[in-house]
Amino acid sequence: MVTITNDDRPRIRSNRPKRMKDSRGYRVFQVVNGAVLLGVVFVTLYPFLNIIAQSFSGESFIRAGEVNLIPQGFNITTYQLVMGDGMFWRNYGNTVLYTVVATAIAMVLTTTYAYVISKRNIRGRGLLIGIAVFTMFFNGGLIPNYVLISSLGLTNSIWAIVLPNAISVFNLLVMKAFFENLPAELEEAAQIDGLSTYGILLRIVLPLSKAVIATMVLFYAVTFWNSWFQAFLYLNQQELFPVTIYLRNLIAGASTASSLGSGSGDLAQVASNIKAVTMVLTVLPILCVYPFIQRYFVSGVMLGSVKG
Amino acid sequence: MKSRALLRAGGVGAAVALGLGLAACGSSSEDVDVSEQTLGAMDAYAVGDQFTATEALTFPILYSEHPNYPIKDDWLFWEELGKRTNVTLEPTIVPMSDYEQKRSLLVGAGDAPPILPKTYAGQETPFVASGAVLPVSDYLDLMPNFTDKVERWGLEDNLDTLRQEDGEFYVLPGLHENPWQDYTIAVRQDIMTELGLEAPGDWDEFRDVLRAVKAAYPDMYPLSDRFNVPTPGGNFLSLVAMTYGTSAGWGYNDATFDEASGEFAYTGGTDEYRDFVEYVSSLVEEGLVDPESFTQDDDTAIQKFTNGRSFAISTNAQTLVNDYRPTLADTQPDAEVVKIPLPAGPAGNVISGTTQLENGIMISSAATEREDFVAMMQFIDWLWYSDAGLEFAKWGVEGTTFTKDAEGKRVLAEDIDFVGLNPGATKHLQKDFGFSNGVFAYGGPTELLQSTFSEEELVFQAAMNEKETLPLPPAYPFSEAEREQATLLETPLADFTAQATLQFILGDRSLDDWDSYVAELEAKGSSTYVDLVNGAAERFEEANG
Repeated sequence: MVTITNDDRPRIRSNRPKRMKDSRGYRVFQVVNGAVLLGVVFVTLYPFLNIIAQSFSGESFIRAGEVNLIPQGFNITTYQLVMGDGMFWRNYGNTVLYTVVATAIAMVLTTTYAYVISKRNIRGRGLLIGIAVFTMFFNGGLIPNYVLISSLGLTNSIWAIVLPNAISVFNLLVMKAFFENLPAELEEAAQIDGLSTYGILLRIVLPLSKAVIATMVLFYAVTFWNSWFQAFLYLNQQELFPVTIYLRNLIAGASTASSLGSGSGDLAQVASNIKAVTMVLTVLPILCVYPFIQRYFVSGVMLGSVKG
Repeated sequence: MKSRALLRAGGVGAAVALGLGLAACGSSSEDVDVSEQTLGAMDAYAVGDQFTATEALTFPILYSEHPNYPIKDDWLFWEELGKRTNVTLEPTIVPMSDYEQKRSLLVGAGDAPPILPKTYAGQETPFVASGAVLPVSDYLDLMPNFTDKVERWGLEDNLDTLRQEDGEFYVLPGLHENPWQDYTIAVRQDIMTELGLEAPGDWDEFRDVLRAVKAAYPDMYPLSDRFNVPTPGGNFLSLVAMTYGTSAGWGYNDATFDEASGEFAYTGGTDEYRDFVEYVSSLVEEGLVDPESFTQDDDTAIQKFTNGRSFAISTNAQTLVNDYRPTLADTQPDAEVVKIPLPAGPAGNVISGTTQLENGIMISSAATEREDFVAMMQFIDWLWYSDAGLEFAKWGVEGTTFTKDAEGKRVLAEDIDFVGLNPGATKHLQKDFGFSNGVFAYGGPTELLQSTFSEEELVFQAAMNEKETLPLPPAYPFSEAEREQATLLETPLADFTAQATLQFILGDRSLDDWDSYVAELEAKGSSTYVDLVNGAAERFEEANG
């Protein structure tokens, strides 16, 4: 035995480079693949880098179309200007508040709902799933929804933003699939050891579900951070607006078709560098969260889908 | 079993939705007696009077928030308005970007504030059938300034264009003393001077100017245009078509009134339209117009112009000062840009008279139940239609934001800026004081409108005012059934016309093909549409003529 291994060793070692050497076709593929992917990366990043460059540029350079990836007429006065606007920060704070509260509520509701409907032996499970799925295909429409929210007295409050979309059915189903694939034996063992239903959920199931929870937090947080329509419908005071409405009005407001033919008071447009700065400041935080949750994100979605 | 449960649930949902829809539809009551609703109203309120409510009143109002001047509670506008009128406005703030949608939602939900400003002509139509908005024409006796201005400025015909089938109109438009032509073409005056060219008087001379520029600067597109949203060639085609006695671009109207026959014809199939298309396509064929002119976005067109790659571009007074001059000052320091007077065409040296009406105010029907309804109408009349109200909304408070010299010329206070009147001033008339706000300040006497214009713009406007005003076509309000049919026909017809127009202009389709194009219009129902229009016009004429 020993001699054989001794004999083998040098051969393996000498063979290793040869065996590991990629075939010509594979190497070509890798180069092409790399080039194509770099191209995709560039195409994806370019608009973003362009906006960043614009945010540091002078207005007349942007108008003349001279700003690509490098700022022209470098200045940070626009940043000072936008950051000096009290309403911008007010709305920014609202966005943070709405996102945190809404994500927390959404996570509690989605997790508990998903856990219940993942138990195949529960009575009325079909009905519970049916109720959720029904809302995926049908909804009351704009005006009935508005009437509902306003007669519940939720308009002009944070609850109009955080409650109506608390459960996303898509997220709910992904989570349900994840819970269904947790080994039932674990929960049985916990039950034998004397844990209650809530104990099982809190001490066994949730700690094992970090991946899917992180994914859901990301899904929800990004959705709430970007959302503006709910706020637009149900809020009537600018102190309550999230920053997305501020941004949307800045970008789309003064250049809508109907305002083009209108009186002199409406015609002035917002400068492009102010728009760029606002965009950069708005996407920055959510952009910073992404890389940290991303690894869960990939494994979480995979766990939900592949095994399911 | 499960699917039946779903079906049942769906049925209930549909029934609820239907019920809500029906509940939203009420019938409008005519000749409402307002004698009981005089809380705070002035007994004798007439032209020239300052409206002051006899007790403090609050009126909710829908407010379109402009990104350039976000609303502030400490605006002098609110304070002074309270002092003068004893009225506090309670704004529901809606971002300007989606104002229309929110207004529809609130009106549909029955939750709209009584005063709904910034309503453009035609936007009120969807609310008419449901009775959600007030037929304001029934209440004009409460509005002495409005009626006075309509009478003095001869705007009855303009108002007719707003009337619905029942002969009423549902929006109080902004009123202009004279037509106001703001849009035209901007050219590089330095090149004109260099080549010894004069500002063109009509479109043929305009073509000669472009030819001369092309000859001297072969690398340059003489015209590369902007304003292509939402219709391709929005501004340029609209300007040319107007002086050819037809309509296109932004101003496209499916039906054109033929004075000779006294009937409407489908615009895209008329001889005038053909002449107009022929003219523009000849410009493109000669290489005088950038073929991208009709589709490129504004920024691209501005870049071409400010980089010296094009000679002319569409403009209004604001874009001239904001978009072109500052950038050109950096990129081409010798360049000089001016507005040319709008060239004349085969229809004469004319401008459209439709600009005498502006966007305006809808009143929600629920307002008639308010105790202070009469005072509200008087208030609206004062703020938006009286000379004092118009001046207040635009210029602010005399002695604070502006002063008047001996001839009555208004001068902005030194530390306040507006449209570049006092560059470098620390405060802004709109941002810091709330005046010249698009929600409250528009329309009015020409003297007031032009009071903030620069010297060169005044010269341009003087030239425009010498032009003749095109007659307005007769009104043709559709009945509800007709409107439904008309809408079904209108959209495909207008789309097809716009598409074919571009094909003709860009040379993708030969003008020899014109007859088959007209036949295609016919196949898409142009004559059915025209019949609807003529029928409605006749009916309106009989009922109101």
